[in-house]
Amino acid sequence: MVPVQWYLLLAAGIFCIGLFGVLTRNDALYFLMSVELMMNAANINFVAFAWYYSNLTGQVFALFVIALAAAEVAIGIGIILVMYRNFGDIDVTVPTEMRW
Amino acid sequence: MSNVTAAWTALSPALLLGLTGLALLVVDTIRPNERSNTSMAVVSALGALASLSVTVWFVIAGRGHVDAGGAITLLEGAVKVDTLALFFTAIFASVTALVVVAAHDYFHDHANPAAFYSLTLFAATGMALLAVANSLAVVFVALEMVSLPSYALVAFLKKNRGSVEAGLKYFLVGALSSAVFLFGISLVYAATGSLVFGEVASAVESLDALAGVAGIGIVMIVGGVAFKTASVPFHFWAPEAYEGAPAPVSAFLSSASKAAGFVVAFRVFTEAFPLGASVAAGIDWALAFAVVAAVTMTLGNFAAAVQEEVKRMLAYSSIGHAGYALIGLAALSTGSAGNEAVMGAAMAHLLVYGFMNTGAFLFVAMAERWGIGRTFEDYAGLARRAPVACTAMAVFMFSLAGLPPFAGFFSKYFLFMGAIENGFLWLAGLGAVNSVVSLYYYSRVVRAMFLDDPATPSALDAIDVRPTALYAAVVFAAVATVLLLPGFGPVIEAAEAAAAALF
Repeated sequence: MVPVQWYLLLAAGIFCIGLFGVLTRNDALYFLMSVELMMNAANINFVAFAWYYSNLTGQVFALFVIALAAAEVAIGIGIILVMYRNFGDIDVTVPTEMRW
Repeated sequence: MSNVTAAWTALSPALLLGLTGLALLVVDTIRPNERSNTSMAVVSALGALASLSVTVWFVIAGRGHVDAGGAITLLEGAVKVDTLALFFTAIFASVTALVVVAAHDYFHDHANPAAFYSLTLFAATGMALLAVANSLAVVFVALEMVSLPSYALVAFLKKNRGSVEAGLKYFLVGALSSAVFLFGISLVYAATGSLVFGEVASAVESLDALAGVAGIGIVMIVGGVAFKTASVPFHFWAPEAYEGAPAPVSAFLSSASKAAGFVVAFRVFTEAFPLGASVAAGIDWALAFAVVAAVTMTLGNFAAAVQEEVKRMLAYSSIGHAGYALIGLAALSTGSAGNEAVMGAAMAHLLVYGFMNTGAFLFVAMAERWGIGRTFEDYAGLARRAPVACTAMAVFMFSLAGLPPFAGFFSKYFLFMGAIENGFLWLAGLGAVNSVVSLYYYSRVVRAMFLDDPATPSALDAIDVRPTALYAAVVFAAVATVLLLPGFGPVIEAAEAAAAALF
């Protein structure tokens, strides 16, 4: 049986990979994928500790999170689409209408 | 009365908002090619006002009050209706009503008004749900229910590059911070084994090896709260989003959405992570909030002072006000009798702020509708052409600055006094210095409107348009700001009673 601490480390590792992607990629779609990684890292924690504490709270919440992540991607793709129509690119550093 | 009526009716303010959102979609289905948005505006304003009236009735009837049977918990304790929830729901419903009325003129020729009105109402539903959340799971779901429509609302003018850019930046920072927030929740769950506030709190008291994990989780939750309230270090989306978004949306986000962030912060940090137990476990979140509050108010006010555009100035000033309201959490100390006074004052400030800040952004909406520019200079001499609206704007500006005869003065005064009584003199002093700085840039708007001459005599000819609904919303917000002066006593009493139930 894998000790529960290893899941914590795995989740932290995936979270950091996602965070690294968010900070280094300019492409909006890579950004979305990286955020998905970060959310799924949290899901690993929820499922692993639901097993550890033998309650179902974490597992059920992980399902909620999957649904919410899908909704967030739908909104995100929509915004990236109008961004492409207006700016002709999906590089997040291109839109600079306002001072940053 | 809570014994007689079914417990679920306590949720009716949130349900009314949600049902209004659905009703708007039905109206749109019946008349899909209707270009006039009057029916939409009427339905959504009635829904928001119905929700507001039910909330006020509940507050007066003492529903969920400690003296009348206490908080009503539903759904296995995941949802809790108490005075705090009702107080904040009243803020959300009032701001929503003002915004939907004002939007009637702002989106007068838009092709798809139903999208705007239903998204606004669904976001308001999420806020009302956030106010009653008693479990981290409900908090996260409700937070996303507020955020997702907000991203779409900011990018609502999809052919306007500024609006799209603002929506993109808001989405990027929002998605990142909600992932951080979620990971924080997962760490708290890992350390405590529960998501319901009460159970988390009792587990926090007996943390052992996992105190470090819980600590990192709480810091990440602070980050999520900082995003929603537009505080440092997740504040930098706010100037972009508020400037680029359609002005009614800016009003909605900077007043209602910010208050939604605060209701989460107040409830999560007092009920799930009680200060005494957290400090004992080595997690002093009040110190973290003190640093965030100090940096946020200073950065917001000083950045606002150097802006050239009124809307961007208001965006930074709203960051500054987030800093003031954070004092309500930062100035708490374990077991102090002054805790409820300072948190109650922060809540009263958010209520006053809800009216004066919404009104200020709606005035900017009116200026955008007129088509006069965005800078301070473009507002020069406006009072000669639109004296009523400009007087209302002057009321908002002086109230935001916290000058004595206005409601903004009393809420700030109670807030700073509460902080001093709890031993946080430095925080109150910093707040007072920042208020002086803010007086400079708020009075710039008033000076431009009333004292300066227009750049060219014909510069203001465009304002012959008379946006009646926008006028009504702005004037109503100004009247509310003034009426909160005599009405401040009951407000602060209700706020302190609500805060007292948390400790």
